[in-house]
Amino acid sequence: MTYYGIVASEGIVFGDVFHYEPFVPSISEKKINSADIDKNIKSYENICEKAKKEIQELIEQMPQRDTDKLKIFSAHIEIVSDVAINEEIRGYIANELYSPDYAINLVYDKYIKIISRSKDPLIRERAADLKDVKLRLLRLWFNVDNTSLSNLQKPVVVVASDLSPSDTATMKRENVLAILTEAGGITSHTAILAKSCGIPAVLGIPNITKELKPSETVIVDAIEGKVITNPTQDEIDYYAARKKEFNIKMEEAKSFLSIEPFTSDGVRIEIALNICSSDDRELAHRNYTDGVGLFRTEFLYMKNENLPTEEEQFEEYKKVLQAYKDKPVTIRTLDIGGDKKLPCLELPEEDNPFLGLRALRLCFDNLHIFKTQLRALYRASIYGNLWIMFPMVGSLEDFRLAKKITEEVKAELAAGGYDFRNDVKIGIMVEIPSIAVMADKVASEVDFASIGTNDLCQYLTAVDRLNPKVVQYYQVYHPALFRVIGNVAKAFREHGKPLSICGELSGDPLVTPVLIGMGIRKLSMNESSVAAVKKQISTLDMQSAKRIANTVLELETAEQVEAFLKSEAAQK
Amino acid sequence: MYSRRVVVQNKTGLHARPASDFVSMAKKIKSQITIKSIEEDVEVDAKSIVLLISLGAGKGTEVEITAKGEDEKEAVDSLVALIESKFGEE
Repeated sequence: MTYYGIVASEGIVFGDVFHYEPFVPSISEKKINSADIDKNIKSYENICEKAKKEIQELIEQMPQRDTDKLKIFSAHIEIVSDVAINEEIRGYIANELYSPDYAINLVYDKYIKIISRSKDPLIRERAADLKDVKLRLLRLWFNVDNTSLSNLQKPVVVVASDLSPSDTATMKRENVLAILTEAGGITSHTAILAKSCGIPAVLGIPNITKELKPSETVIVDAIEGKVITNPTQDEIDYYAARKKEFNIKMEEAKSFLSIEPFTSDGVRIEIALNICSSDDRELAHRNYTDGVGLFRTEFLYMKNENLPTEEEQFEEYKKVLQAYKDKPVTIRTLDIGGDKKLPCLELPEEDNPFLGLRALRLCFDNLHIFKTQLRALYRASIYGNLWIMFPMVGSLEDFRLAKKITEEVKAELAAGGYDFRNDVKIGIMVEIPSIAVMADKVASEVDFASIGTNDLCQYLTAVDRLNPKVVQYYQVYHPALFRVIGNVAKAFREHGKPLSICGELSGDPLVTPVLIGMGIRKLSMNESSVAAVKKQISTLDMQSAKRIANTVLELETAEQVEAFLKSEAAQK
Repeated sequence: MYSRRVVVQNKTGLHARPASDFVSMAKKIKSQITIKSIEEDVEVDAKSIVLLISLGAGKGTEVEITAKGEDEKEAVDSLVALIESKFGEE
């Protein structure tokens, strides 16, 4: 059988299926027999004891210096032994004859609701602790193993209906041969992570979790977007050859990886990386790139049920800054909301999350989260060349407020006797059309900017890119997008301020001539795109780049732009 | 019965770690203890961390601690002292 999906990250893999099902309890109102009250209370007490033991073991495995985390898990033990909760749960079992799982769910949900409604954000965060404890108890009640992707024993093809950010952030990457999911598009967090780690991934395959048997060997063709089960000998031979071919192509492309990116007439283009952690695999690419153009810090926040502490963040940023020495490392402050949810933060449901409380707006609303991150960033600044970038800036007021908070954090650090660099560059993401329109004013005020083409395209074309019903309206080659990029590029060139492009467009070799022709000199992309883009640059001269850019600005539709860029590429 | 009022002065208020410290001290006490947020007029069992967190006593909240039992006076005094010590913050 062959199953079809969307390729999120390329490669060809032969491997064994590993089904990953995160624990989702199914709870319904169940009654117990009045004769069994004592027995049920006893079972409830038993799972509480088991839960305490599990948490205790977690605590013992944690490094001692991580005091914040240790305290959080100690608080979890307190919650399990909480008098009020235990009394209510026992009451429901004894008086209402509710089965313990139903009672646990009821009582915990009640307090989760109360705490989530608090006006104090510090208190709201604690709802995550109750949720964590609740899930642990219910998992123990249903006697389900604590499976996770963090302890994969051998290399496997991971199959899941969807992967949550915390699944992808904690998975043991070296044992993940490929990822297959039912949900997800090419801009989902799973896709972003797979691409940045170079793990082949095919997403959006209907019913794949039911179709594949545990441990069966499959062929994943993450070039054409196919998964093949029970392959014939012919298919095996064919894919073995394709795999070899693909590897040779990758090797060949790799020869371009390490070249210094000059156009054929000698213009140096900076190629920076998009990364999402300080993982050694991501840092391994530092020698042939010009720094980090986008460090997506939200993955730090997605890893755990708790917010990352100042110390954790400091260590993470320090490691990246040290690895890149003098090369600029652009770290984007927390960009959460929209499609990205946090396990450690209770966010209200919104009708239009992409137009809602996300990124910088969310940070303004949760100042302590924002300030903790800024403190960690400034403390780490002495270890390298730090650039701080704010996401979702819609107006100069947004930028000024963020900068004012930054100044407050610096003053607090100075008062606390901390060292930090005073010359950290402060810039913005250009992704909201209003700020792109204001580019000339913006360019005189910010130190730098980077155009986030995924969000800019979505806001410009008014398309929710995760809504499959309207996805055909999300046109990455829309001429309007190129006109906006051209105007922003002009404004930044006139003010002599650095401008880069991050987002999918930056890693698309078809578009490279247009961007360079518009005067952009820095492109930031996933590692997997670097070789192809460098190759494209090496065969490009400025005169053709300008001609291609000017032509694109005169075209009428996305279809025309795409056809034109493909015809240009074919002429080489 | 013995009661005293005190204002929460530490930066993070009575949540997470301070709440945990408060509850572990309260649990060592024999008397029944309650804590009340004056502003919200809500009173809860001081030996329950979940109720204490739900009380939402942030910095600047005035609370009343009440104990009933053989060690009521020491109980209230030591819990008030703990709040006044700002739980070692700053």
